[in-house]
Order: sequence, then structure tokens, then C-alpha cells
Amino acid sequence: MSSNLAYATPQRAARPQQEQHPRQIEIVSTREQRRARPRVVYAVATVGGLFALFIAQLLLSIVISDGAYEISALRVEQRNLSRTEQALGENLDLLASQQNLATQAEGLGMVMNTSTPMFLRLSDGAIFGAANGAGTSGSLLGPDGALVANSLLGAIPLAGDTEGAESTDGSPALSASGGTGTRTSTTTTTTTTTQKPATPGALPSPVTR
Amino acid sequence: MNNPRSTRRRLTATVLAIMCVVGLFVGRLVDIQVVNAADLNKESLGKRSINLVEYAARGDIVDTNGKILADSVDRYDITASPKLVKESFDRKDAKGVKTEVSFMQAVAELAEVTGEDPAALVTALTSDPTSNFVFLAQSQTLEVQKAVKALKIPFVFDQVRPSRTYPSGAVAGNLVGFMGTDGPQAGLELKYRSCLDNVNGTSTYERSSDGVRLPGSTVTTKEKKDGGTLKLTVDSDLQFYVQQTMNTRAVELGADWATAVIVRVSDGHIMAMSDYPSIDPNNVNASNGKALGSAAFANAYEPGSTMKPLTAAMLLDAGLISQTTEVNVPGALYTEGGGRIKDSFSHGDLHYTTAGIITNSSNIGISLLSAKMTPKERREYFLKFGLSQKTAVGFPGESTGLIPKLNANGKWGDEITTYALSFGQAMQTTSAQVASAYQTLGNDGVRLPLTLVEGCEWADGTVTEAPATEGVRVVSDKAAVQTVQMMENVVTQGWLSSTLQIPGYRIAAKTGTAQVAENGRYGDDYTVSVAGLIPAEAPEYAVVVTFGKPDTMKTSGAAAPTFKKIMTQVIKTFRVTPSTKPAPNIPQSW
Repeated sequence: MSSNLAYATPQRAARPQQEQHPRQIEIVSTREQRRARPRVVYAVATVGGLFALFIAQLLLSIVISDGAYEISALRVEQRNLSRTEQALGENLDLLASQQNLATQAEGLGMVMNTSTPMFLRLSDGAIFGAANGAGTSGSLLGPDGALVANSLLGAIPLAGDTEGAESTDGSPALSASGGTGTRTSTTTTTTTTTQKPATPGALPSPVTR
Repeated sequence: MNNPRSTRRRLTATVLAIMCVVGLFVGRLVDIQVVNAADLNKESLGKRSINLVEYAARGDIVDTNGKILADSVDRYDITASPKLVKESFDRKDAKGVKTEVSFMQAVAELAEVTGEDPAALVTALTSDPTSNFVFLAQSQTLEVQKAVKALKIPFVFDQVRPSRTYPSGAVAGNLVGFMGTDGPQAGLELKYRSCLDNVNGTSTYERSSDGVRLPGSTVTTKEKKDGGTLKLTVDSDLQFYVQQTMNTRAVELGADWATAVIVRVSDGHIMAMSDYPSIDPNNVNASNGKALGSAAFANAYEPGSTMKPLTAAMLLDAGLISQTTEVNVPGALYTEGGGRIKDSFSHGDLHYTTAGIITNSSNIGISLLSAKMTPKERREYFLKFGLSQKTAVGFPGESTGLIPKLNANGKWGDEITTYALSFGQAMQTTSAQVASAYQTLGNDGVRLPLTLVEGCEWADGTVTEAPATEGVRVVSDKAAVQTVQMMENVVTQGWLSSTLQIPGYRIAAKTGTAQVAENGRYGDDYTVSVAGLIPAEAPEYAVVVTFGKPDTMKTSGAAAPTFKKIMTQVIKTFRVTPSTKPAPNIPQSW
């Protein structure tokens, strides 16, 4: 780039001189220009946001995987509980079966009224049905027990037997004397506390436990 | 070094090498991601994912009060992997203390818990050491499964086996039916598969290396569907009483079979239906392998005199007779072809009214009355009463019974058959049909469809399988009421009145002692029955008690005490109010 032609010195050279003086006029960028200019704050916000997202995701996945163990444990617990519930419900249905109830009732000395049915209307005490002297009673099951088989019932002991077994065992839960004691006290409380609102139309009767 | 050409050459070589390597990687990437993607995905999923069967429950069968008659429960098969069997293993207790347990010791413990034979367990575990699966004990309860788990034997596992249990045993067992290994085998279990059947679902999930389910990885591939709850019309407490009473009596009488049916007159619902022999669906093998259905639906027999009220009702309806139509009843009725119709007691000429014929159950009297109507009309009436066809229940194995078809001349072959049909011989009915016919008489002549199932309730509250309720007018209101009045006289004045009466209640009943035909001849066997309605002035329940081929007592007197017991129980169960007016006294003779 050698040349012998004269050329004007670029104006830039004069700049330092100008800067020595306080600037009189400043070129203000237009609002549009300012708005269009990238701002640091945006960059920081974006990068910060990204980091926040990463961290949030990380935490979330930690929580979720933690939760996975909890869910898994709860699932097992739920399954076990529902299995237990089912087994208990099954047992209850079996105990509520007619064969068991009839056998237990007769084992406890209960009998069936076989005389003519009579009804007492609670609202006015009217009696329906023909009175026919002394009521007769009989056993439904008879000597052979229930003739309506239920093979599931084999292992269920008689209610009376269970009580006897417990007292002979001398188990702490229900010793013979203790049992009677509790019962007597129950009876006394029952007779004193009759303020309970009775069912309208119901027969007055002691509360049995 | 500063030779630009050599620099460029090395640069080119390096770039080429890098490109080669990159190309290689790209190629492999495409191979993995695109070409073999499907196979690899499958393989990886197979390693992580678990297929799960979501067991759906078969629907319950409940009685009219919601008491469970059939229930779905889980049982557990105890299984083992002989591959994993070792001489001994370490067992950690709750505190982490290890104890060594030998194989034989483990087997002994297992045998004690499951109740299996130890020798059989050893054989199962050792006969094929390469096998990965054997059954040790099947269908065990939760209790046993828990006890087995507590043993912590490393080669023993368990799996769920959905099972069926019938908590009330044989109560309504013949109706409910039972399940076999291949599904429902009999009764309503079989008939209402559309309601009860369950559809097991399947789902997959992925699990981590430590066996924990990955969150969000569960995919249900097939929704499970529980069965609906089948609600019967039967009252199981009454059913138990009836079955117990019937079975006791059937054993006393040495009867081959016995049935009792209680139908609610107002809607045709079967409140109790007992069959002897009864089946315990929990243990079908104990039921002697016979009579696995319901005798009340399946056994067609000649009903005998319980059909006389039907004959009277149709004649009354047609206006051919009245309650007091006078009939001269001779000691015997001789028919064409040398037949002879007798009464159950010998007598000379008797002057009975229609009511007298019913009360004294005169075969000759009812035969003479039936002659007033053509066989064609009589058959049509019988069909309208629901005979010779299955009931609306459509129970599996149900018999249609039989009213013989008419020949081309519109007749029933011989004259004796024509007469015999008026008192319930030469025809066949089931107990269910007789109960339905009596329901008709009690319901002022309108027969309602016999109903055993109230409906099928689904989890979302909808009810399907709702029974039909449209009735058929069989005879007029008046004819039905008059027939029931005449049946009351059986209880107040008939030969079994002392056995049948329940003080305070008006009962209408008719006894039947029918000869049983075997090999085309009537032999020594009888079917004895009592059918009736309570209370007679406005019938609420129809009761039919039948004993087939009793040994010790061969008249309807055998069935009468049981009929009364069941009637009494019906009164108590449904709180039937006592009658206030006495039974009408219709002239029995003239």
C-alpha cells in the first residue's frame, strides 16, 4: 500500500483531543434502539432460570424416586391389609352362617318357640293371634345337628365350650370369679341408667351386653 | 515442520481419520437407533418390565337381605423352585441373628404349617433338581401363607389363586350351584355367568435393579372387570329353617327326594326353595354324586290331588260349576277300556258338592265334574297355569313337566287318562310349577312369572337381569277366590285338619298322595305333598311341600306336619297378621 498521494488524516486522530473536554452533546440512542439492545439481566434470567429448572428437576426426581420406595412399601402394606380384611370378612361370614348360629344357640341352651305365633303391637299393646295355653318349644337341629351341611364349619368350637376352656385354663383375661364380678356390676349400672332416650314404641328392656 | 504441503497432508489425514471414526459411530448409532431399535427396545423392556395379572373378583351371590351366599376369596398356592434347594440355608430372625437351617428341618416345618405329608414334600422338592417350579400345597388360606412366609425358606414361594367360598354351606346350595376347576358347573353360578363372570386385567410396569416399581411406568394393557352382585329373592334364614325341617323329615320318612317351595303371591318371588338331598357347594364330592341340581326344578312327578283345585278353578272360570254344584259320587267310576277310578276311601253313593269333593279329595267327584269341559279347553287352562313348560326362572336342568298332547280328535287317548288328569295323575309337574299355579290361585287368578333372581347389581350402581313382571290372567278373580275358599275347608274339615290348622290363621291347602308310575305301571311308591296359601282371605304366600317315594309313611299325612311347621315359620318370618274373620262354611253335601 505505498502511495505518494496526499491524503487527509482521518478524523479519528482528533478524538483524544475532543475527549479532553467535557462532552457537550451526546447522541442519545432512540428508545427503539435501547429496547432492541440485549440486556444482561435477560441473559442472567435465562441462564438462572435454566439452572433453576435443572435443579428443580433434580430435586423432583430425587423426591419421586424416594416416593417410589414409599409407594412400593405402601402398596405391599395395602395388599397385606386388604388380604387380612378379606380373610377376616370371610371368617365373619362363616361365623354368621345359619348352621353356626343355630348350633351355637342350641349349645347355649336356647330353644325355638314352636307354638302358634302371636304378635304384640307396640303402639297400643294389642295382642294378635290366638292364645293357646303354654307355649311349646323345641330344638330345630335335633340329635343329628344341622342336616344342612357346611363343610367349612369343622373347626369352630361351641360358644359354651370356649368359655369353659378359658376359665379352666385360668387365663388372665377371664377368670371365673372376675367374670361374675364384672357381670354383676354391669347389671347394677344398667338399672340405674335408664335415662337413655328409648326408641319410641320399643319395649322397656334391660340393656344386655 | 514448516513445510506447508506436509502440514496440509497431515491435516487431511487427520480429518479423514476423524471422519472415519465419526462415520463409524454414526453408522453404529443408526444401526442401534433405527435399524435394530425395535428389537433392542423390546429386549431392554423385557429386562426391566414386569407383567402383572390384575385379578378381578367373580361377583358375589347374595340373598334378598344381602347376606352372602357365594363369595370370591383369595387362596394361596405354596410353590417352590427345586433348582434353589440346598443342603442348608441361613435364616435371619428379627434381630438379624443368623441360624443355620437344614433342608430336612425346613421340610418338617413346612409340613407342619401346611399339613402336607413331609415325605411327599421331599419327593416334590428333590425328584427333579433342574426344575424351577413345583406345587407344594394348593389353595391354602392366608393364615397358612403367612406362616409359610414367616419360615423364610429361600426356595419356597407363593402365588395367589382366586377361589370361591360359600359361607352358608348347603343353605340354598342347590340353587346357587358350584364351581369346578373349569369354571361354573351348576345352578345360578352357571346360569348367570353374564353377571358373575370376572375378567382379569393385565398391566406392565418397569422396575429398578432393586425391584422397586419405577414411578409412572405402569401401563394397564387390559382393564380388569369385576363381576356383578347377583341378588336372589331367597331369604336365607327362612331357607335354612325350611331345608333343616325338610331334610329332617325326609330322613325320617326315608324319602328319595324332597322339595319345599315358598312363593310370595304378590310378585311370584321364591322366598325359599329347599331340595333334599342338599348340596354343600364347598364340598360337592360329599353330596354322593347325585342330584347336583335343584330337585324342585328338575324332578317332574305326577302331582296327584294338589291339581284338583286347578281343575275346579278352570270349571268355575268357565261357569260350568259353582261351589255348591251337586254331584252324585258313586263308589267307583268305570271307564271305557275296563279302567276303574277309586277314591282313597271306600264308600257308597255320596252326595257331594264341589266343595265337598275338594275337601274329601274325591277322585270320582272331580272326574265327573271335569267331564263338563272339553279336553282341549282343559289343556289350555293347564298351560295357562304354567304347566308343561319351563318356568320363567329357566333354571339349569329344569324340566318342563308334561300335560299329554291331544290326538287328532282333540282327545287324550283313553277315557281313564282324561279323568285322571283332573286329579293330577297321567301328567307331570315340577314343585316349582305347582307353587306357581298356587300363586296364581292366591293372586286372584293372575299368574306372575316365577322369580328367583332380583337382579344383577354392578359396581356403578346399575342393575341388569331385572325379572319379568308381566302376569297372565288364568282364571277370573271370582273363580280363584272361590277355589281358595274351598281349599280352606280342607284345613277346617278335611281328614288332616287337626294337623294343618294354625290357631288364629286361615289357611287354604290341598293334599296330594300320588302314585308313582314305574315301567309303565303304578307301583307301591307315592309322591306325597301338601300345597297351600296363607292367609286364605288375602293370600300372601304359597307353600308347596313334597316328598318323593317315602318308605315309612305313604300318605300326604307324612307331609302335613312339615307343611304346618313351615307355614308357622313363614308367619313368624314375614309377620303375617292373624285373620280376623272365620273361614266360610260352604255346604259339603246335599
